[in-house]
Amino acid sequence: MTASPLKTKLLEITQIGSSRAGVLDIQEKYWPKPGQYLSCQKFTEIPDVLTTNLFSILGNKGVLTLEPIPQNWTPGDQVQYLAPQGLAFQLPSSARWVGLLPFGVSPLRLLTLVRPALAQGASLILFLDPEQRDTFLSFVPSSLEVLPLSALKDNLDWLDTLAVDIKREDLDVLSNLFLGLTLSITGEVLIRTVMPCHGIGECGVCSVKTKHGWRLACKDGPVFRLAEILHVAQ
Amino acid sequence: MWLNELKPIHKRDLVLKHPYVNAPGTLGFAPDPHQMPFLSRLGAFTTNPVSRKSRQPAGNRVCLPFKGGVLLHTGHPNPGIQRVISRNRHRWADAPLPIIVHLLAEYPETLYEMVRKLEGLENVQAVEIGIPPGCDSSLLEAFMEAASGELPLILSLSPQEITLLETVKNSQARAVHLAPPRGTLPNPKGELVSGRLYGPATFPILLQALKTVLHAQLDVIASGGVTTQKQAEILLNTGAVAVSLGIVLWNVHLGALFPEKPG
Repeated sequence: MTASPLKTKLLEITQIGSSRAGVLDIQEKYWPKPGQYLSCQKFTEIPDVLTTNLFSILGNKGVLTLEPIPQNWTPGDQVQYLAPQGLAFQLPSSARWVGLLPFGVSPLRLLTLVRPALAQGASLILFLDPEQRDTFLSFVPSSLEVLPLSALKDNLDWLDTLAVDIKREDLDVLSNLFLGLTLSITGEVLIRTVMPCHGIGECGVCSVKTKHGWRLACKDGPVFRLAEILHVAQ
Repeated sequence: MWLNELKPIHKRDLVLKHPYVNAPGTLGFAPDPHQMPFLSRLGAFTTNPVSRKSRQPAGNRVCLPFKGGVLLHTGHPNPGIQRVISRNRHRWADAPLPIIVHLLAEYPETLYEMVRKLEGLENVQAVEIGIPPGCDSSLLEAFMEAASGELPLILSLSPQEITLLETVKNSQARAVHLAPPRGTLPNPKGELVSGRLYGPATFPILLQALKTVLHAQLDVIASGGVTTQKQAEILLNTGAVAVSLGIVLWNVHLGALFPEKPG
């Protein structure tokens, strides 16, 4: 990973539900993989107090769309960023049925797994909260099957792998969802938490409890193995 | 202790090549030249706070933005002095700049133990003591007595703690590190959380505190929400021997702080 900053321009901004997303003009070799993040700051004389960590979301092919774009950024702004950081989702190459579970968050980050999953011949099921259905259904590719969250347990046996996107404070609720179940599938969890030092300071704000002890989402994540996270009191 | 021609250099003094250090809690436990291209601009590296036994992250850990800064509350998670040393001693020895280990003073006996473990480690050239909230003069005296030894001592004090200056003057402390002030904000759930305040909004507070500590004729490393070279110069011209850099080191680009030299 290079620590030297790179420069780009914010080309456009769009609002998708509660997500404020934008298109940045970045070379493909610096595109973050699903789950990774770009630490960014607007290039002004006095920068924002903290960097913003941007994640890729489903957008037009060949275009890098990221969120969350800060409120004080406008199209045309010069932005500086570091090369992609963090651990990305690793779709098992043998997976033929992939489940996507955006737990209390928008599905846009998980939808970046659609193209790689389809490319390896997998089928996808999106478990979508009824409250988000109206907002996001139009963004979901027609190749995905969309089921309500309540159908998750009944469909676990059909899945080869599960990708979850969740806020750190909801991890206990996620564990409750799987209480009493023997998980035979693999899975990964993108944990949403503030990462103010983006790995440089080990500040501890983004600490996540795993089966093997405390880990930092900024360096050891933000994607963690599902088995490491479930049923670990935070 | 510093390249201060008005004072004699002691046998185990810490000499800073550049008048900048990082604030504890900003750059981890050891320098990483790959992630920290600005290391050559620092005069010393300060570790994250270290306690005798391991500490877990605070349950209500948080980063709360406010106008001009952020409040950070983490609980100072760290694996404990023994593990910090075993994991980092070689990186400290190989580091391109001197290492200052920041210790969390909990009891005088445990502080004594931690300081003794650091003495003799290659390139560890000073110890910085962080005192607990509510520390009074007699406890501070006990901490300073416990920490006295081969390594120069730096005492970390927030502006709220400079009431302890008289005790500091009579102690073995070679310098005071003026630390970020403490504050309280509500978290998204509405619960009040206390922590340290970082960012440019704290600059006036720290500049005022700097004047007070200088009046007590102590060497000061001043932390203060510095984000530009101009602010750093103000602190140095006011009398600080060095400037402590906080979350500005998390910026993607440090051009405002370390402008590119022409040519």
